[in-house]
Amino acid sequence: MTDRRRINGPPGGTRPAVYASLLQSATGAADRAQRQRQPTDLRKIFLKTGLIPSASGSSYLEFEPSASLAAARANPKSLIPPSSALKLACTVHGPKPLPRSATFSPNLVLTTHVKYAPFAARRRKGHIRDASERDLGVHLETALRGAIIAERWPKSGLDITLTIIEAEDDRWWGDAPDSHDASWGMMNVLAGCITAASAALADAHIDCLDLVSGGVAALVSEDMTGSSGPPRLVLDTDPAEHRSIVSACVVAYMPARDEITELWLKGDSSKAALEDDDKRPGHEALIDGAVDAARGAHTVLGQAVRESIARTVGSA
Amino acid sequence: MAASLPSLAIPGQRLGPASSYSAGPGTHVQQSSIYASIAGPVCLDPAQPKIQAKATLRVSRVATSKYQTRNPQAGAVAAAQPKPRYNTLPAVDSIVLARVTRVQKRQVAVSILVVLDDTPSVGADPSRTASDNDNVASILTSAANPENHSNTDELRFQALIRKEDVRAVEKDRVVMDDMFRVGDIVRGSVISLGDQSFYYITTARNDLGVVMARSEAGNMMFPVSWKEMRDPLTGVGEPRKVARPF
Repeated sequence: MTDRRRINGPPGGTRPAVYASLLQSATGAADRAQRQRQPTDLRKIFLKTGLIPSASGSSYLEFEPSASLAAARANPKSLIPPSSALKLACTVHGPKPLPRSATFSPNLVLTTHVKYAPFAARRRKGHIRDASERDLGVHLETALRGAIIAERWPKSGLDITLTIIEAEDDRWWGDAPDSHDASWGMMNVLAGCITAASAALADAHIDCLDLVSGGVAALVSEDMTGSSGPPRLVLDTDPAEHRSIVSACVVAYMPARDEITELWLKGDSSKAALEDDDKRPGHEALIDGAVDAARGAHTVLGQAVRESIARTVGSA
Repeated sequence: MAASLPSLAIPGQRLGPASSYSAGPGTHVQQSSIYASIAGPVCLDPAQPKIQAKATLRVSRVATSKYQTRNPQAGAVAAAQPKPRYNTLPAVDSIVLARVTRVQKRQVAVSILVVLDDTPSVGADPSRTASDNDNVASILTSAANPENHSNTDELRFQALIRKEDVRAVEKDRVVMDDMFRVGDIVRGSVISLGDQSFYYITTARNDLGVVMARSEAGNMMFPVSWKEMRDPLTGVGEPRKVARPF
């Protein structure tokens, strides 16, 4: 559906155009982002709650930009940043009465909206939510529904709105789209959405079974020549840092109960280069990796919620 | 045992075994352990010998300046000050303040402004409830009150006071126009969650009824009897179902 009510920006990219031939040059090639972290190292997360006073709960989440971005900023070779880091804001409105037309519900009615800001991705997004944004909303809703104790809030609705201010890339921006390609960045966005929404829910004092956190793991084949060996397992992948992601998995995980409320696995996970004594099939290793990443995010989440509650108790 | 309780809890944090505590608000039980389900200060309500054998463990929604340190060794139990509450949903028996939006022959439609947090159970000192009533105006107008951020009636919970729920005596002689006017602030008690759109509220108690009202001249009125309020400037009385002032 086209948006005819607003004056939209030009369709297409939000970054300046660059000739493809320039990318092949020596200087351009150096700009490709490389993963500096260990395969099991996670990016740092900035998470803060209660930033939006008009909402009953809110949070802001930011992933640490990759090292190549900092290097590119210090020594700019191109106008285009080599990678982007996730930034998103989450608001929780409610519990509020259901609209009059709604039928009686003994439980909390959860609605989730995920929206990219028009400038969030390298490709401009419209003002109306597109299919991928609605898809993320559904995934987020399943992830949170398993964590919220809905029967404590009869007859009320809860609106969770996520605004993605800066999205993850699906691939390095200079790479041409190819058959391996899928929206890998979306999976990181979903993991961030889950963690941020969970913090906002805790800020809004909605009863939850646990703080549910999101984590991503991926199988990447790193070979420069193209004759790739079996892909390696990498936690918290930044898609811009890898040549080709074979398969990725995002989970919403509750550590206190060791339960997964949402699982999204994409790609071919049949081949994976694991340790020799590791007999797990590829997808299991992938899910375990995502759970490990979620555990890591949970420590940040727990600390952010603790800080927010200490702040309200201290200031009251 | 109590010393092992954390002072602040986050959702999913294990608080204690269900065998030695009973689970209060803000907690849930899983695999015979009590877990916190909201973030907040942990409170331990002591056991009442007759009613319940175990102390109730709850996570408070109320942000108190000095939440009670429930460590018996620490001694001094700080006085809890009620502060802006978060997301209290009307439940059966909770006392609410509501604004009258429509007066009909058989019922009055009101929109709930605030749910007064009267924890009637343990340690509810009478001064606490009284202070709530003293601060009615400040609760209703304060920007810190989260309920005030939803300014339209659509965003508030709607409720009905049916004709037979207005007062306890002479129920069949109730004339709704002599009980409430649009814009009155009513203190009521929730009797039912009702249907999909309305809660049901009763004012059939001495301490329930209209607490704030303006006269036809537009002045704030003061109560003179259980069924009359008077305008201090014009001296004209108007009929209302008045709540007993404290």
